[in-house]
Amino acid sequence: MLGVATLTLGSSTTMVAQNHAQQHATTLASANGNRRHSVSNRTHSLPMSLVSPTNQSFTFLSSFKEPTHARPFTTAVASVDSDQLDSSDPPTKNEATKYYFLVANAKFMLDEEEHFQEQLFERLRLFGERNQEQDFWLVIEPKFLDKFSNITKRLKRPAVALVSTNGPWITFMKLRLDRVLSDCFEAESLEEALAFNPTDLKFEKPEKWVAPYPKYESGWWKPFLPPVQTEVKP
Amino acid sequence: MLLLSPPQPQLQPFFTSLHMAALVKPISNVTPKFVSSPRMGSSHSSKFSTIIRMSATATPPPSTSTKPASSKKGNIKETLLTPRFYTTDFDEMETLFNTEINKNLNQDEFEALLQEFKTDYNQTHFVRNKEFKEAADKLEGPLRQIFVEFLERSCTAEFSGFLLYKELGRRLKKTNPVVAEIFSLMSRDEARHAGFLNKGLSDFNLALDLGFLTKARKYTFFKPKFIFYATYLSEKIGYWRYITIYRHLKANPEFQCYPIFKYFENWCQDENRHGDFFSALMKAQPQFLNDWKAKLWSRFFCLSVYVTMYLNDCQRTAFYEGIGLNTKEFDMHVIIETNRTTARIFPAVLDVENPEFKRKLDRMVEINEKLVAVGESDDIAVVKNLKRIPLVAALVSELLATYLMPPIESGSVDLAEFEPQLVY
Repeated sequence: MLGVATLTLGSSTTMVAQNHAQQHATTLASANGNRRHSVSNRTHSLPMSLVSPTNQSFTFLSSFKEPTHARPFTTAVASVDSDQLDSSDPPTKNEATKYYFLVANAKFMLDEEEHFQEQLFERLRLFGERNQEQDFWLVIEPKFLDKFSNITKRLKRPAVALVSTNGPWITFMKLRLDRVLSDCFEAESLEEALAFNPTDLKFEKPEKWVAPYPKYESGWWKPFLPPVQTEVKP
Repeated sequence: MLLLSPPQPQLQPFFTSLHMAALVKPISNVTPKFVSSPRMGSSHSSKFSTIIRMSATATPPPSTSTKPASSKKGNIKETLLTPRFYTTDFDEMETLFNTEINKNLNQDEFEALLQEFKTDYNQTHFVRNKEFKEAADKLEGPLRQIFVEFLERSCTAEFSGFLLYKELGRRLKKTNPVVAEIFSLMSRDEARHAGFLNKGLSDFNLALDLGFLTKARKYTFFKPKFIFYATYLSEKIGYWRYITIYRHLKANPEFQCYPIFKYFENWCQDENRHGDFFSALMKAQPQFLNDWKAKLWSRFFCLSVYVTMYLNDCQRTAFYEGIGLNTKEFDMHVIIETNRTTARIFPAVLDVENPEFKRKLDRMVEINEKLVAVGESDDIAVVKNLKRIPLVAALVSELLATYLMPPIESGSVDLAEFEPQLVY
């Protein structure tokens, strides 16, 4: 099981993962609740050069102690198979990264769930304040759904997925939104993970809007869409 | 945290809170200090010990109002309804979340929530500026009094949340460190909110004596499952109230008469996250959600919270009108949205979108106004009580009729039997 720590080294924050003596299967409950994916999470050991003798203040994001129960998500670090790497080598570019997602129809996600908008902007604001790189995206009609027939047959279209490399955050978002399906997949590049089928979204204005404030403007989701990308060959 | 109190003490059998006099003292300088001391624990390194210490000078400052300070203080005592403080069966709570006893306790959502709370989105956001004092000095007459009351009620509610969460965080530390730490982090949020509100009161040369409030508090005992229902609703209704006020004022800045409302966008997200945690607590204990008793209790708590808010707010229309809102429309919007959110976890909710529901609420407001008038009359106590009997009976009748309206079956899709057939 991977434990994650944040090392406070001056102003920068480094995410590191520590490999336990034995591998543990990471399980993710799928939308059906029965099917589970088993993924082997292994990374190289913690480079000790990161630990400065003058600055050893640690803030742990999750415990290194192994609990008795299965813990599906304890890390936002990408899952990589790194048998061939020594501790100083960076991962090579074609290694698969694990992406977690939740998905529902576009009307629910982008038009009806107004607090979803607030959450995404709050998180974007936080990442900006802390100089963190964005690790979550909204994908309209994602191509990766083709791999999930159990999901697509239960999904109204067009569909929208919230995709992230941070598994626990997706678990939290599933708790918040409830009426969504969730799963995970691996992709070798961000472009592949976020590939989409171009779709024009138009939502009808509600006949009766009783809130004492205007609705969020259509198109609020644009800052969260994947960067413009070239078509990914299947 | 928004813990609501009933508009009349006669309603105590039906509601979860009571009248309490405001514990207020005029001061010239109040400094809420938050001491967050991270300590290394056995299984989690970051523990928060959030302490609120109130320091105040003994001599009251010159009042900006023409009335003497004591008079102002008296008025607040007479009009203020403050939320009750809650306690629970901590031993039962420990048993419910003991990972040794409950080997199958699903911790996934708690782990995810812990990460979310540790992120601390609003760590640097509740920072005051000179606008506060300037705005407070501009507020005069009845509107000033209304704002003082609003700040006090809100501060007391947040502080009551702090006390409950802090104690739960302390008591669950050994049996479930993850859940315990989340409670501690929620108490951090509540302390931050309470301190911010209390500092706002200092702009009006007042402050709640939170130390005295802690010692003098009266507790309402609730079993853990009732704490879950009531607090979930309190947090979610708090979110909808705050975001509604924030978005309304953003669209209508001419009503932005006090800068605290600008902070409601961040504030309400804390409330929403707290509600999510209680949602996870209930999902981890499906016995609180999956039988006929759970459905009855769910409806009861929905009714208690919605009616309490509606009657309370209808006694304070001046506040909502002061910020450009129609009180009843605001309340109905908040109730409808809270109910839709609550339907994602409670096994049954009220049919609040049925026009009959609002008609019943409005009838309760009329009865309540008559009860208030009886209370304010010069009649002797015996006569007052005799006059109250038919009114209380009418109110109980309306409450019962509302409770018995056909409910809406609901619940989380994670627990629903129909989930495999659901189309998303």
